[in-house]
Amino acid sequence: MALLMETRLLLRKVKDLRCLTQKRHRVKEKWAATRIKHPATGLALQNFDSTYSVQLGPLWPSVRAALLSERKYGALLNNYGHDDVQAELQAKGCKDFPSDIETEAQPCLEQEPAVAGEEESSHVSVNKSDLDAQQLPALQLSPNIKCLVFPRGDITRFKPARPDMFGCLGYYLMDAASVLPCLALNVQEGHNVLDLCAAPGGKTLALLQTKSIGFFGVNDTSVSRTTRLRKVLHSYVPKPLLSDEKLRITTFDGTKWGEIEKNTFDRVLVDVPCTTDRHSLMEDDNNIFSKNRTGERRRLPQLQLDLLLAGIEAACPGGEILYSTCTLSQIQNLSVVEQAIHTAREDHGIQLQVVDLRPLTHMFRKTFDFAPDLPLGEMVVPHLAANFGPIYMCKLRRLT
Amino acid sequence: MGTRFAASQVLRWTLRHATHSVFGPLQFGRCQLQPLCAGGRLLCSSTSQGTLQSPQHTHEPHHLSRQPVRELSLPSLVDMGFTDSQAEQIYDATSKLRGTSASKHALSTLTTMFVLGLNPSSVLKILEKCPELYTINELQLQQRIGNMRKLGLVEGSLQRVVSHFPQILTVPVKTVKHMVLFLREKCQFTSQQVTDILRDSPAVILEDNEQLEYKFQYVYYRMGVKQADMVKSRLFRYTLEEVRCRHCFLERRGLYQTPDKKGQTTIINSKLDSILKIDLDTFLTDVANGSAEEYEVFQRLMAREWQEEEQLQGSIEAGSDDEEEDEEDEEDDEETSGKSAYRKRRKR
Repeated sequence: MALLMETRLLLRKVKDLRCLTQKRHRVKEKWAATRIKHPATGLALQNFDSTYSVQLGPLWPSVRAALLSERKYGALLNNYGHDDVQAELQAKGCKDFPSDIETEAQPCLEQEPAVAGEEESSHVSVNKSDLDAQQLPALQLSPNIKCLVFPRGDITRFKPARPDMFGCLGYYLMDAASVLPCLALNVQEGHNVLDLCAAPGGKTLALLQTKSIGFFGVNDTSVSRTTRLRKVLHSYVPKPLLSDEKLRITTFDGTKWGEIEKNTFDRVLVDVPCTTDRHSLMEDDNNIFSKNRTGERRRLPQLQLDLLLAGIEAACPGGEILYSTCTLSQIQNLSVVEQAIHTAREDHGIQLQVVDLRPLTHMFRKTFDFAPDLPLGEMVVPHLAANFGPIYMCKLRRLT
Repeated sequence: MGTRFAASQVLRWTLRHATHSVFGPLQFGRCQLQPLCAGGRLLCSSTSQGTLQSPQHTHEPHHLSRQPVRELSLPSLVDMGFTDSQAEQIYDATSKLRGTSASKHALSTLTTMFVLGLNPSSVLKILEKCPELYTINELQLQQRIGNMRKLGLVEGSLQRVVSHFPQILTVPVKTVKHMVLFLREKCQFTSQQVTDILRDSPAVILEDNEQLEYKFQYVYYRMGVKQADMVKSRLFRYTLEEVRCRHCFLERRGLYQTPDKKGQTTIINSKLDSILKIDLDTFLTDVANGSAEEYEVFQRLMAREWQEEEQLQGSIEAGSDDEEEDEEDEEDDEETSGKSAYRKRRKR
């Protein structure tokens, strides 16, 4: 009986299956009584309207329309798969955006000497300058990450990935802009990498595609989300590569990482929990703007700050930390980074340098729309023709 | 070709009989008719037809001057005021109908058009737009025009409606009445507003009732626009997709809100006028502040969204239909005891 009830609840949850539930068991939505007066999505929209219209100014209406419309996906190519999915997708009109970069109007500068030694050919190392030949520092990207997207303005959808003969799925569908932080992290051969808030696993998977990580620490506070992450990894990466000495999946409180492993990792990805703007506008379920999660929402900036500080502490001197969110909110982006830099210097005696990501925005401006003139870090803003993001990212290098 | 044949027939016939009594009136009629043409075109057209007869009628001399003419010929058309080329066009169009029962209505149609006060060139345009008019019988045509007058389309408006949308004359009076009733009762337009709707967007007559009601309700409830504004902005000229797409574009950009119960919004909505009545470029620059690229992609996204919504709706409705049938079956079981025993057994 209980089982029956459960399936019924489940069926009710899934919209597309509503036709399968019998009419007498179906909850008829009544506007007057059942409908919540202020749904969480509505509250989110109100909140965004008041904050972002000030923050983004004339850009906001366009971003708003994009956020409320269907998002675009990118297909993160699984390098461990056996089928030639890339050719198949390219035949449909997709392009691998990390390799589809703007080459005109960017005279190649001298290579960065530091990392020029090994595997030069496989690296997507592009040195760039601004349009007005203003010299920008060279920027290196993580190698081997391939993400296919349909060109600007094309709204075709991807089909769900199919497993090959070994049960490996060909590609992982995710927001293509989420690949950018992984590219910007610049993982090199033999690096120890930490992903502090890994679930549901898109970015983790993207980092694994580089095939150059020495040791990969993967963590997420939530058990259920870690389980999901594990499932994702198992359906994309062959078992031998997920062995304990190469990969460690943990469920600790990320904010305590400074106490667990100090000065250990070469690269740290801190993809913090945030107000997930797009999700908050679309789904009433589990929405952070619902009334009973107000406290949690208020504590977000502090949590984000703690996580970033933990990430900074976990990185070794000279190591790089990438902070990313999927919100447009200034309080959760710029302010957190500013505060973290300040606190790290004052309380922990750690000097940090902000790495300029402008070359990255220049490289990928064909695929993504970036927010103009951000004082700190870079942000992908959604646009109807390129409906990716929002993704904010800021890269820090630990000096001491 | 046909006219030449007719003319030669007339000539042959007059020569054969050589009776002045017949030829006289014929001549007389022609002479008399020339001045009349300028005054009343109706009179001119029908009688001049009488003089230039088609072959079968010319054989019966006594019918010649009295019997109304059934078939059109080129000179008669010219007499009606058409230029040579116009006459040829009409002649060509009617020649396809020649011999069928519909052919006899062509003349009455032309007459009716002239009675309405339309000039030859606009009559030609109307008939080019809607050739079916040739085949409608006179009585029906008169009734339909009369009905439109009754609906408040005064002289001037009536002519405009007919010349812009001649198809309106192909619609039975009953359908028009139904549509008017629908607009007044379901959509609560006043009769003056209905008249305005018919004048500004006569094509509404041919639309599907359900579609129309949906469009009305969308604008009334979702956009919070009252009837008077709908009439003013000529809502019914635009398709539901156009209206919905422009509205949703504004709504998602945060520039339009559905008013609450008291009709209040936190922002000032643009008038329906300024959303619909302007071309796309002006709409994008002045009202929506968006780029053409965005709107183009948005249209495609919307089309897909709605298509999927409809599919979902369809599948749910299909599911519920099955259910209702089942329920009915069960009710039957309880009511009719005789059958129910059998059914229950079968169920087990």
